[in-house]
Amino acid sequence: MSEEIVKIKGTKTGLRIVFDKGTEFDEVERDILGKLESGSQFFYRGTVVSIDPGLLNDEDTERLSRMFRQHGMLLRIENSAKDSEKVSHKAVVHEEKKNDDVQASPQQMTVLNRTLRSGQELRCEGGCLIVGNVNPGAQVIAGGSIDIRGTCRGIVHAGAFGDYNAFIVADRLMPVQIRIANLIAQPPDQSEQPDYPERASIRDGRIIIEPVERKANS
Amino acid sequence: MMSEVIVITSGKGGVGKSTTTANLGVGLAKRGKKVALVDTDTGLRNLDILLGLERRIVYTLVDVVAGRATWKQALVRHKKYESLFLLPTSQVADKTAIEPDQMEALINDMKQEFDYILVDCPAGIEQGFKTAVAGSDWAIVVTMPEVAAVRDADKIIGRLQADNKDIKLIVNRIRPQMVKDGIMLSMADIDDILSIPCMGQVPYDEKVVDSSNRGEPVVEWEESQAGQAYRNIVSRILGEDVPFMEFRTEGFFDRLKHVFKH
Repeated sequence: MSEEIVKIKGTKTGLRIVFDKGTEFDEVERDILGKLESGSQFFYRGTVVSIDPGLLNDEDTERLSRMFRQHGMLLRIENSAKDSEKVSHKAVVHEEKKNDDVQASPQQMTVLNRTLRSGQELRCEGGCLIVGNVNPGAQVIAGGSIDIRGTCRGIVHAGAFGDYNAFIVADRLMPVQIRIANLIAQPPDQSEQPDYPERASIRDGRIIIEPVERKANS
Repeated sequence: MMSEVIVITSGKGGVGKSTTTANLGVGLAKRGKKVALVDTDTGLRNLDILLGLERRIVYTLVDVVAGRATWKQALVRHKKYESLFLLPTSQVADKTAIEPDQMEALINDMKQEFDYILVDCPAGIEQGFKTAVAGSDWAIVVTMPEVAAVRDADKIIGRLQADNKDIKLIVNRIRPQMVKDGIMLSMADIDDILSIPCMGQVPYDEKVVDSSNRGEPVVEWEESQAGQAYRNIVSRILGEDVPFMEFRTEGFFDRLKHVFKH
């Protein structure tokens, strides 16, 4: 009966929200919140939700971003390449450029100087460096690569937005599960404890683990 | 009076929080300290049983918080150790009956009267945990050399560290022979994951079951290994430097004896 204010589409890297430009932000917000709270299978924690630049002003974007973050998702401002909307306003084009600049800047590296304990989770858009251990029951989800200067016994997910080139390095890599992009690997039940740094990456469509050398001072 | 409030917690149930609380309480009282033990495991109380005080309870923590009694009225004095008191909790109410800020206010009030207040925390990480931790100066995390117990201890340590609490570890129910045989986690394995300073290693001791049922904490039993371990922890709480016990594992002759017994 009533037409949907906000449409949610699936994309290769996550979800995209689309609504008519000029729609009242309150309505947009209410509609999205309703969808989030309906507990739909769509909204996995860690999902990246993209939105076209220019649909919202900075303040509203921030509010929306906060809302998604509370639900464990990440809002990205991203132009949809295929369905290039008819963006005719000059101002919008301008804004688009500005956003592109932001995206082009080198991805942020998150540094954590402590051990992640059971039940704790580190989630970051770019890569991350953890100086400490990742204990069993802890989780690291990164858009980029993960470097652990310690023992990794938890669940690690690198390239969470689909980056096949992401990798995971740890002084002792003995996780419960390794995920890179959309691949999941489970070490054998009786795996030996490595005493040297190892690196997990994707090769030929599979997650492989190999020893790496790390410089002592790096 | 300089007092210390220590919360005894573990995350997982059944690792020996209440046993530890009772033993450290009796141990500290034996050393002449004035001690209050506060049971916060509302609905599933058992610290009173371990101390042999269940028949003396009139008022509970829940009555105190609700204003039906003062904490002085609710305190139960130990039969043998005059400076040891128990503040029992209700077996009827549940953990929602006490809010963390109520607990904190109560503890701050009680602090004036005691050298040590030991708070026995319930299992879990919900309100009961938050209530127990409120008002404590530092925490003792009790764990066992088992994967599940260590995992839960890790979770609790994470929570406590977020609260900036100082934490010490007690590893309970160690079976030296099983550790030696590689079946049970070793202290090194535990330290590798938890990396928290350890203040006690308590060996598995059948006497603990007996002593618990009698309401006489094993710390009083001179010949018990676990009792010795608890006495050592008490000394460490009092700031003394005590070396860790050497656990005796079964030698060849002990095993031979077993063979002949059967």
